[in-house]
Amino acid sequence: MNLASLLSKDRVNLSLKPGKKDDVIRDLVYTIKKGNDAELIVSTLLKREELGSTGIGKGIAIPHCRSLAVEKLEIAVGRTNKPINFNSIDKKPVSLVFLIIAPPQDPGNQYLITLGKIVQIAKEITKKNLIQKAETPEDFITLINGIEKNLTKRK
Amino acid sequence: MPDIIEMHLKLLFDLDNLISDMEEPSYKKIGFQIEEEASLVLIQKRNDLLKKLPAEVAQAYEILKKRYRQAIAPVESEFCLGCFQKLPTQLSARSQQIVTCPNCGRILYWRKKEG
Repeated sequence: MNLASLLSKDRVNLSLKPGKKDDVIRDLVYTIKKGNDAELIVSTLLKREELGSTGIGKGIAIPHCRSLAVEKLEIAVGRTNKPINFNSIDKKPVSLVFLIIAPPQDPGNQYLITLGKIVQIAKEITKKNLIQKAETPEDFITLINGIEKNLTKRK
Repeated sequence: MPDIIEMHLKLLFDLDNLISDMEEPSYKKIGFQIEEEASLVLIQKRNDLLKKLPAEVAQAYEILKKRYRQAIAPVESEFCLGCFQKLPTQLSARSQQIVTCPNCGRILYWRKKEG
């Protein structure tokens, strides 16, 4: 499954309000779900974060979990102008957050495949210093699409 | 079922999925940093959640989890999405009792429409 096809422009927020890690996660979750469903997802994501930060270093974090609050794989992306503390692996603050939520059972285990793909794309973004490159959500989706195609070609 | 029980059951269910993902080799291969005691911490949290449920519900959840891995299932268009059998029409989303699927026994919940 193509990652860019899972991303819609209303799920890409390039001016996410900077704040505490929990608040940034909550704001992004609310672009996908509202009310009790959103709070259930936030609770599971924060439990996941307690086990080890999903801040993978160099300014990117990828919070993720499965939750029965969603019926299909859902992705949202947020970028803050002011980096936030995410307790990342390299202790550096984060300005780009990929959020991924999967239903409990997903055909072909798309969740872990997509999660792995996002990690690869995130590494390319940091390697080429592209975190701040996109100016609009459409630009961002085009950027992701390009990186994904290059990664596929290399295989 | 009462909202508070439904919320605890859903939290428990998501936590159980988190525990099984942490142990999944293909998850470990992705390379996220995980604290050494992670699974112990999670198991403690799930046991705390289990204690918040009425004893008979907690017991049913554990038995169903052993049998199916997924102890609870949503209802959609009068079907149990655990076993995909049509449910009797008298089962109600508004019931204050725990409702189980007459075919597979999973604890049922109704998805709430947004908006």
